[in-house]
Amino acid sequence: MSILQSVKNLVRSKSIHVAYVDVGSCNGCDIEVLACLSPRYDIEQYGIYVHNNPREADILLVIGAYTPGWEEKLHTLWEKIPDPKVAIAVGNCPISGCLFNRPHTLVDPPVSKHIPIAAEVPGCPPRPTEILAAVLSVAPLVFKDYEVAKR
Amino acid sequence: MAFPIIPYIQEVTRLEWLRKFFFVKTAPLLTPPYFRGFPELTGKTCTHALFCMMACPAPGAIDVIRTPGGWQPRIHMGHCIRCGLCVEACPNGVLTSGRILESMFYDNTRLSFSFRIDVNTDLCMGCGNCAVACPVNKLIDAQMSHGGRASTDELLLKVSEGKCHVLHVEKCTGCKTCENHCPNEAIRVSRLLEAVHGQEEEV
Ligand code: SF4
Ligand code: SF4
Ligand code: SF4
Ligand code: SF4
Repeated sequence: MSILQSVKNLVRSKSIHVAYVDVGSCNGCDIEVLACLSPRYDIEQYGIYVHNNPREADILLVIGAYTPGWEEKLHTLWEKIPDPKVAIAVGNCPISGCLFNRPHTLVDPPVSKHIPIAAEVPGCPPRPTEILAAVLSVAPLVFKDYEVAKR
Repeated sequence: MAFPIIPYIQEVTRLEWLRKFFFVKTAPLLTPPYFRGFPELTGKTCTHALFCMMACPAPGAIDVIRTPGGWQPRIHMGHCIRCGLCVEACPNGVLTSGRILESMFYDNTRLSFSFRIDVNTDLCMGCGNCAVACPVNKLIDAQMSHGGRASTDELLLKVSEGKCHVLHVEKCTGCKTCENHCPNEAIRVSRLLEAVHGQEEEV
């Protein structure tokens, strides 16, 4: 492994940029993601930064049950994220539609139909510790030796 | 009064202190055992009463499946919202989650079920699918023909004068079979859950 690669691994393990997108949720999961930023959970001590810009992001947290307004938009957003990238489904909504997935509703879950999802965090809403654990366990798998794996 | 600068510098240049200052992280917070998690099995025998499935508000969150060892509820992550209603509803204490069972024991509460059937007479076309499908009707009158017409008034659902009529709502077990078989969505079964105090009476 080249020195350049090990430098990249080190940098990427200490600097994970997260963007989140709400494709039609009840806001419960958004609040739990917000709680990850609070001093109690303090997501930044692991080098994870949340600033909601897909062009700078490595990880996309997808929240919500996919309402019709997100047709095409979510995919465009996913395309904007530079490689290496990964999407994590947070909460029941992007996995199954949660309570909204009933006859005569407009939601179109799961979100994995629309963009590739690497990890799912079940719960309605999941606890901040569970979101944190998912981000921390997915990040090394995707970002470590990315250039080597791509070849 | 001399400012105790020397001990101060000694303190902040201790290797241990520096290590902690730069590298220590908040331990990943553990989930306390009294938090409501996904319900787990206690190992008691499930009698296939299906109250868990009736109480569950989330579509597709819980199934009761037949295993070689008997019936067993199974929770589906990604659907379950960890509300704990199935734990409260189970008359046999098969499921557990957090402190729900203990607090039910101390408070002496339980969930009681009742069912309400509404027939929208504007939508009902009197086909009788509901009355034929109803398993309670089947026990009362196994000979019931299609169309849902029968002579006895002991039935739960019966079609007369071209409309479905609910005769004995207290016999309903809340299975919603009728609702699923109605072509017009005319019949609706509501499951009413009530938290009640006191001992369980034999129904
Ligand atoms: S999973 Fe639950 S809390 Fe999260 S957005 Fe869906 S309904 Fe809301
Ligand atoms: S905890 Fe609530 S959502 Fe989960 S299976 Fe039980 S009743 Fe259904
Ligand atoms: S919900 Fe009640 S009326 Fe409907 S099929 Fe079941 S037992 Fe019969
Ligand atoms: S309620 Fe539905 S299934 Fe029952 S008789 Fe009327 S239309 Fe037929």
